[in-house]
Amino acid sequence: MSSLLRFFENELQIACLAFMAVVYAVRLLWIFRFKTRRDRTFPAGDERAGAGYSLMNIVMPGAMESTRKRPFFYAQFVVFHLGVAAAIVGTFIIPYSPGLFGRAAFVRLFQAVVGAAFAVGLIRLGRRLTNPVLRSVSSPDDYFSLVLLIVWFGTAVLALPNRPERGEGPLLAYFGLTAFFLAYVPFSKICHYLYYPFTRYYLGRSLGHRGALPPARKAKELA
Amino acid sequence: MPHIEIEGVRVEVNEEGFLIHPEEWSEDLARVLAKAEEGLDELTPEHWAVITYIRGYYVDKSLAPMVRKMCQATGFPLMKIYDLFPSGPAKGACKVAGLPKPDGCV
Amino acid sequence: MTRRRKAPSAVVDSPLDTRTQAKAKEDRRPSVVEGRLKTYEPGNNVGRFLDLLAGRISRPLAVSMTACVHCGLCAESCHYFLTHPDDPTMTPVWKADQVRKIFKRHVDWAGRIVPWWVKAGTLESDEDLNRLKNIVFGTCSACRRCTYNCPMGVDTGLLVRFARGLLTELGIVPEGVFNVSRDQWETGNQMAVSEDDYLETLAWMRDEVRTELGTDAVDIPVDKPDCDILYTINPREIKFDPRSIAHAAKIFHLAGASWTMPKWGWDQTNFGLFSGDDRLGAYVARNVYEAADRLRAKRIVISECGHGYRSTRWEGYTWADFEQTRPTESVVVTVKRYLDEGRIAVDPARNPQPVTFHDSCNIARSGDLIEEPRQVLRRVCADFREMHPNRRENFCCTGGGGLLSMAEYRPLRLEAAKIKADQLRATGATLVCTMCHNCVDGLNDVIKHYKLPMKVVQVLELVSGALAVPVRKD
Repeated sequence: MSSLLRFFENELQIACLAFMAVVYAVRLLWIFRFKTRRDRTFPAGDERAGAGYSLMNIVMPGAMESTRKRPFFYAQFVVFHLGVAAAIVGTFIIPYSPGLFGRAAFVRLFQAVVGAAFAVGLIRLGRRLTNPVLRSVSSPDDYFSLVLLIVWFGTAVLALPNRPERGEGPLLAYFGLTAFFLAYVPFSKICHYLYYPFTRYYLGRSLGHRGALPPARKAKELA
Repeated sequence: MPHIEIEGVRVEVNEEGFLIHPEEWSEDLARVLAKAEEGLDELTPEHWAVITYIRGYYVDKSLAPMVRKMCQATGFPLMKIYDLFPSGPAKGACKVAGLPKPDGCV
Repeated sequence: MTRRRKAPSAVVDSPLDTRTQAKAKEDRRPSVVEGRLKTYEPGNNVGRFLDLLAGRISRPLAVSMTACVHCGLCAESCHYFLTHPDDPTMTPVWKADQVRKIFKRHVDWAGRIVPWWVKAGTLESDEDLNRLKNIVFGTCSACRRCTYNCPMGVDTGLLVRFARGLLTELGIVPEGVFNVSRDQWETGNQMAVSEDDYLETLAWMRDEVRTELGTDAVDIPVDKPDCDILYTINPREIKFDPRSIAHAAKIFHLAGASWTMPKWGWDQTNFGLFSGDDRLGAYVARNVYEAADRLRAKRIVISECGHGYRSTRWEGYTWADFEQTRPTESVVVTVKRYLDEGRIAVDPARNPQPVTFHDSCNIARSGDLIEEPRQVLRRVCADFREMHPNRRENFCCTGGGGLLSMAEYRPLRLEAAKIKADQLRATGATLVCTMCHNCVDGLNDVIKHYKLPMKVVQVLELVSGALAVPVRKD
């Protein structure tokens, strides 16, 4: 393995992770500078149950009409994000636990997940480029972030077998893009996962307080 | 701007059918409005009792009268007003009497 | 993937009409002179808008601004877009983005340095502010259906209210919004009903119920202290249709309730919810809470009004910084209690017509009452049937968000109402019951426009019609 690749797999990742962490910390401080207002009313429900239900939204496709009506769209979302998780985990396994990828079945599993995410990414890019609603609101960042991820998935599929002796190109690309990704994320829509807990918590807490969420389980039986 | 025609003259109305310029109202216009907006083919003396009261009140005070006052002046119970003007005192009777749209969510 | 040609935007191009504002200034109306009611002044309105945006935005709304990933799932939850499927400007995401892009440019990070990259944008003139007015007042009823369908939890409904509040501060509002706000500031109620009008109408309804029940023991007490219930109403019930007051009086009498209405602070509606003006919201809500304090009432009961319920039961306490100390409930809940306790007896056979129920946005999505009205309706109607979707997934009556007071946006909202018309027609019901006065008028508009063979009723009307032998005799 060349010293460049070793640098890419190790020091560069750590530096970029540290940078991302610092920016995230500043971003969180920025979020907390905005104020919240205390609700002064008697509750009609349970705030914590509401917040909990709301936070679980991504694993409850039946909870929203929008995802209930589009199960294939939801499935794409799951596959895409599993691919993100797998590709990120790969950047830790390769430098620090390469033995795990010694087993071919394990590598193939990761490649399959990331490969499926790559395919979903292409489908979603096609949608973003052709659907008039998305075209009316999408910014360059929206397109770029998606393209970045698609390319990254592609390099991951090629790099995950971790064979630098057969050519370091895929590995350098994979880790290089990961480093770029880590530095770019805090300024892009990609860091929506940082905001998800906030929006869902505040919405869930407010609606939980009002008894609007979670929906009453025995709704149909009360008569 | 939407409008209705009466004897070749265009009278402007707003999107709900209320007159933009209340001073353009006439009894003939009331008949046109009643037909177009309330589906009333003819206006009986009972209709006119209500319309005349509302019009007089508006000309005097630049306000729509409360339904209570309409009932008191005409002697009609509340249900009668709704029978005469299906859309009710605000959207039915006041409109036919040529008042501008009353303020508020109604 | 869909390939559709984009339609021209249906956003109504309504110019800023300040004639009634000018008159209010000329007449030196107290609310204008004292600066409570804002009017439009040419000047640095864009600058003021940006300052207000940065200064007022709360944390939940700030994260609603940043969290949107432009996935487009909200589009098909909105009645405006569903009826204009070729017009992206009718989607919640596009509408929210018109405010969001300004936030990105002036408050957020990346948008300040490379605005074009994140599609940040700005406003340049009062015409731009007026266009924003037409979007946030004219293409959205703030029903929050999109909020419930967003995977990220972006609250577009609340975001629209926030944007409205900024524009209201600058006097850049539809004329209807200004007029009603002026009336509510100056007279304490939304329709400028005078105290005499109010008292006269209450006395009239009292007499009607006395005649109907054949007893003088019926009363509508005004300003009676130490009662169980302080009953508050919608000014529409005084000005245009007091029958609902009669229904309430009859039911309270038969249930043996100890109740009163206040001489001041009887308006439970709240235009501050629609205009985004928290100060107006606080003023109106506080009038009710202070009336309850003054009369030492044990609970506040709110007549059937959606936005009034939400404003008085929920938002008002926060706007007014008033700690809730007494139960505050809808009259439907009060009536349900009477039925549960056997204080009134009803016979559902007296309401044989097929009835469906329309859940109001401010009660079901932003509040807590879903099963309660149904429990009442099942006891007072012989043929109750649900519409679909229902409960929190119901579609707005299309008259919400104050749209009924803004005539210029009516044609567009009636187009958007096609969804509602189809929904109503599919029930086969001849009556649609709702707990909200706004919905009554909104649904009436839909019924008239789409020529549906239906009538709108409220819960108290059906309960009143089903009252059997009174449980208590005098």
